[in-house]
Amino acid sequence: MSLIKKSNQLGKAIDKQEDIHPFAIPFLWLGKKKVIDNFIWFPFSGLILMILIGFLYPQKHPAPWDVVPGSWALIGFVSYSLIVLCAKPLTFLLARPESYYGEGGLLDPEFSVENVEDGHD
Amino acid sequence: MSSMSLFPQWIFEQGPAFLIVLPLLMGAVTAILPNRSMAWWVTFFVTLICTYTAFGLFQHIYFDGFLLYTMGGWAPPHGISLIVDGLSAPILLLISVMAMLTVIYALPSSISEIEPKKRAPFYAAFLICFAGLMGMVITGDAFNVFVFLEVSSISTYVLVAMGAARDRRSLAAAYNYLIMGSIGATFFVIGLGFLFMETGTLNMAEMSAILSELNGGTRVSKVGYGFIIVGLGLKIAMFPLHTWLPRAYAYAPTKITIFLASTATKAAIYLLLRFTFTVFDPSFDYIAVMLKYLIMGAAIVGMVLASFQAIFQSDVRRVLAYSSVAQVGYILLGIGIATSSGLAAGYLHLLNHAIIKGCLFISVGAFWYRFGITRVSDFSGLFKTMPLTMGAFTLGGLSLVGVPFTAGFVSKVKLILAAAEQEMWWAVLVIVFSSVLAIVYIGRIIIVAYFGSPPKINGSTFIKNEAPFMMLFPMWVLGLMSIAIGVNAFGIGDGFVSASEIAASVLLGGRG
Amino acid sequence: MIDILQINPGIWLILSGIICTLVPNGPLTQLTRKCLVIGAPVFTAFMITQIFTSDIVVAGLITIADIELTTLRIDSLSMVWGYLFCLIGVLNGIFGLHEKCRITDSSALIYSGAAIAGVLSGDLLTLFLFWELTAISSVFLVWRGGEHAYAAGVRYLALHVLSGVILLIGAVIHARFNGGSYVFNHIGLQNLGGWLILLAIGIKCGFPFLHMWMQDAYPKASITGTVILSAFTTKMAIYTLARGYVGTEILIYIGAVMTCFPVFFALVENDLRRVLSFSLNNQLGFMVCGIGIGTELAINGVVGQVFVHVIFKSLLFMSIGAVIYRVGTAKASELGGLFRSMPITALFCLIGAGSIAAFPLLAAFVTKAMIISSVIYEAHHNSVLYLIAAMLLFASAGVMEHSGIKVPYFTFFSHDSGRRVKEAPWNMLVAMGLAASLCIFLAFPWGGYQMLYDLLPYEADYKPYTVDHVVFQLQLLFAAITAFCILKKSGLYPAEKRSEILDFDWFYRKCGFHIVKSINRAWNALDARLFSTTRDVSNSINRRLYGVFSPIGGFSKTAPSGLSAVMTAAMLILVLILVYFVR
Repeated sequence: MSLIKKSNQLGKAIDKQEDIHPFAIPFLWLGKKKVIDNFIWFPFSGLILMILIGFLYPQKHPAPWDVVPGSWALIGFVSYSLIVLCAKPLTFLLARPESYYGEGGLLDPEFSVENVEDGHD
Repeated sequence: MSSMSLFPQWIFEQGPAFLIVLPLLMGAVTAILPNRSMAWWVTFFVTLICTYTAFGLFQHIYFDGFLLYTMGGWAPPHGISLIVDGLSAPILLLISVMAMLTVIYALPSSISEIEPKKRAPFYAAFLICFAGLMGMVITGDAFNVFVFLEVSSISTYVLVAMGAARDRRSLAAAYNYLIMGSIGATFFVIGLGFLFMETGTLNMAEMSAILSELNGGTRVSKVGYGFIIVGLGLKIAMFPLHTWLPRAYAYAPTKITIFLASTATKAAIYLLLRFTFTVFDPSFDYIAVMLKYLIMGAAIVGMVLASFQAIFQSDVRRVLAYSSVAQVGYILLGIGIATSSGLAAGYLHLLNHAIIKGCLFISVGAFWYRFGITRVSDFSGLFKTMPLTMGAFTLGGLSLVGVPFTAGFVSKVKLILAAAEQEMWWAVLVIVFSSVLAIVYIGRIIIVAYFGSPPKINGSTFIKNEAPFMMLFPMWVLGLMSIAIGVNAFGIGDGFVSASEIAASVLLGGRG
Repeated sequence: MIDILQINPGIWLILSGIICTLVPNGPLTQLTRKCLVIGAPVFTAFMITQIFTSDIVVAGLITIADIELTTLRIDSLSMVWGYLFCLIGVLNGIFGLHEKCRITDSSALIYSGAAIAGVLSGDLLTLFLFWELTAISSVFLVWRGGEHAYAAGVRYLALHVLSGVILLIGAVIHARFNGGSYVFNHIGLQNLGGWLILLAIGIKCGFPFLHMWMQDAYPKASITGTVILSAFTTKMAIYTLARGYVGTEILIYIGAVMTCFPVFFALVENDLRRVLSFSLNNQLGFMVCGIGIGTELAINGVVGQVFVHVIFKSLLFMSIGAVIYRVGTAKASELGGLFRSMPITALFCLIGAGSIAAFPLLAAFVTKAMIISSVIYEAHHNSVLYLIAAMLLFASAGVMEHSGIKVPYFTFFSHDSGRRVKEAPWNMLVAMGLAASLCIFLAFPWGGYQMLYDLLPYEADYKPYTVDHVVFQLQLLFAAITAFCILKKSGLYPAEKRSEILDFDWFYRKCGFHIVKSINRAWNALDARLFSTTRDVSNSINRRLYGVFSPIGGFSKTAPSGLSAVMTAAMLILVLILVYFVR
């Protein structure tokens, strides 16, 4: 019963897909799959460019690691990957059901997209 | 000296005799008066005049010191002498003031307590009792002490028995009191006999001089002192000899309870002081032993056990009666310490306790007068029905416990200091412990009265029903007096303290 | 006549907060309250301009029982916090205009007033007073979050009151070592007092292992509540650190650890407000570290960082708050694709995210660079600090991850959750717009950041916009984004899952709770046993006492006269024995 009700509400929500904010209409391309798939080229080209400029203008107060060209890029990349790769073991170690402390958890919306497959792409 | 001008000169000359003779004579007159309200008026004026006279004498010895009055001009040791000094004057004043306040209270209360035709004899007995107490205190002749003791005692038996109109148990109580009182008086007179054998005189000053010459005397005087102290112990209600007191207080007419509680035991304590410290001398070794072991022992045991007994009583007047036994313990403790500060503290507590107990018994009498209740459980909601009376009761109760800014606090602190001076820490402990017990037995009553709800009569809550003015007046005089002593308003507190110090100096050294 | 210039300006806010509490509810008074909420901070800022006429103003001297209190001290350091708190007070007021809640309004006013009064106080006792007041007034904001926030609020209150108590003890000890002077200047760690005060501050600004209250309470508060809370408490603590512990070496390491560990927690956390709370903790780490370095450059960096941080952090909390207001949740697993319906909010959120990640031309760039530079400059003398600098860089990448990418991405982009809601209310948009423009303005290379630098306590000749700074910062950020794209594509980036993430507070919320519970159970058992024993004992004592002393008891039975007479005789014998034989 409750599931039906939930999906009805969701249905309503999807029906309103057309009420997109007027300001957002010129930017709808951001949600296109093609754009998302190829978005990587924007930061990647920026990265290459910055590494190249980094050769021309080295650090004025270099740290020991600045002998490597593109050092901050390296730090950024490695750190970021390291952090994200930590997520799996951390989730395994630390994640518990939301009702773990028995205090009612955090705010929930009126209906959840969690159990409805259609909501995800 | 300005206040002395309020009193005519004859008071200082004839006052001491006047204090005994007037009530005795008027007692006889009152007994034959046909008109009952006239009996009250006569009694009232006698007590008023006596109060006035006693106050004059009190003022006089304050400024001029010791006053010796010789009956009929016969000088001691052959004649009878009356002594007013720093020891007796405050007690005289106390007795007459309490008598006057009791008489004021008696006007409404005797309507419900005494049969109309017995009222004139009642007032006569009251006056004779009053005269006896005054005589006990003022006389300088040891045998006269016995006479006045008997005068006051016999009239007291009558007065207690008059409670029969209200409660038949008063007859048994009076009978018991009579037996015990007579034993006490007998012991006392036997003791006097021994003393007469030893010294050959009945005048106290002479006795004292001879005894100190003999350095305490032989076994005869020792035995004499033993009999005297047991005889007086009965009158004082010293702890194991107190058994007559609770019933006498509980079943006597309320006004007699008031009068007895605040004066009779006090006069007897006065005699104990007089004999122990001025006739005998605490420097005699047997007196010192007696003070140290008997008086103080009885005091300590009495303070604790009687307080426990008070806690478990269901009748408020018995609670207060046992409390009186405990408070006598405080006074005896001060006497037993036997230093000037100890004696002053004991004497001060004597005066304060008379005031406090007077206040408490008057308010309890007012409750009885309005509702006919004396049981603790019946006090429920009394604060709402009789707020003024309950207020006075609360003042008295707080003072009895020894809450700061009350009379009880002043004398208990002095007592604790006196004990601490002698490094008797156990005594300090017992005083504090007994005060805690006092909190329990007084608090029990006050809590019921304040937090209980008034009883319902015919489905409607009882409305306010305050005591008459003639009862409210004496109880508030005494209640406010105890506060005045506590906060030293108008110098009253200092006056009491200095009176007690003068009394202590009289006891310990000469006739200052 | 009291000179109003002698009064700590925070008092005006507290007063208006009290007025808010007292005015009854109603449409007109609602307007009055809102006027007060926005007007009072403006007035307070005006009062600060009136008072702050020379380099250091000391006023409001009160002597109580031989202790001289300096209730008002404004100098170049505390002035920054004073203005900042007034500014953020106005922004928060605008953000909360729609909310018809007396408690929020008055509590926000008293709370911000207490924070301002605290930073403008010149002695430790006045500080303690307002320290506790911030705790007590702000807990109502947590409780406004609803029933589930109650326990968190209690924990929050308990820890903060405890912090205040520790501060007071520390202050007393510290004053004893300083000849009874409570003046609040450099404290240091010379004595136990210094350590205790540091501990108190540590609780307030979330040192590792003392930080849990932040991630516990902030996400559970009401929408406006979180925004207000995030601005004051921790920043007040940073002020006290900057005042009392400049150059204390231990702070460098504490700060470095503080920047790194929240990164991991923020990564796996599903609740976006909690992610932002971890991010707040991480930002505080940068500031603590800078204070530990203690050079003029570092302090300038810290003060500047505090100033811009409050703005962009509020901006981020506001944007997530707007999302909660419309959608009803801040769980990343429930959100996504919201840019279609809330594009303006999304834009502001991106500006805030860019600011916190320190993109050039956005706020944090001009200040965080100062802190990292100061660490690297100092590292020339002490090479351990290179490790610290590396940790800070690692943490910068972490900031990029959780605040720069995760928050906006999962809220506004990512997969479309299908939720179509209205754009945020106008007042929220105005508040966010103001904050966003400040983020841009304060980092504007031509005349913008110079104004920020003018506020700083020391002469700032630092140039943030040199080519190498910009280039290397962009290297870091672009590398991070590239890594994100690669990981996302390869499916290594974890999907958001609904879960409760354990943190150090597990030790008292679960472990401690169980210990207390089992102690309680044991105690109850013992207590029942004890109770029955004591009841039996006291009953029997009572019975005996009653048996002895009561009217029916043996002791006070109506003693027959004969017995009394025998008693008297016994007494006489006792007396005679005493008289004769005892010496």
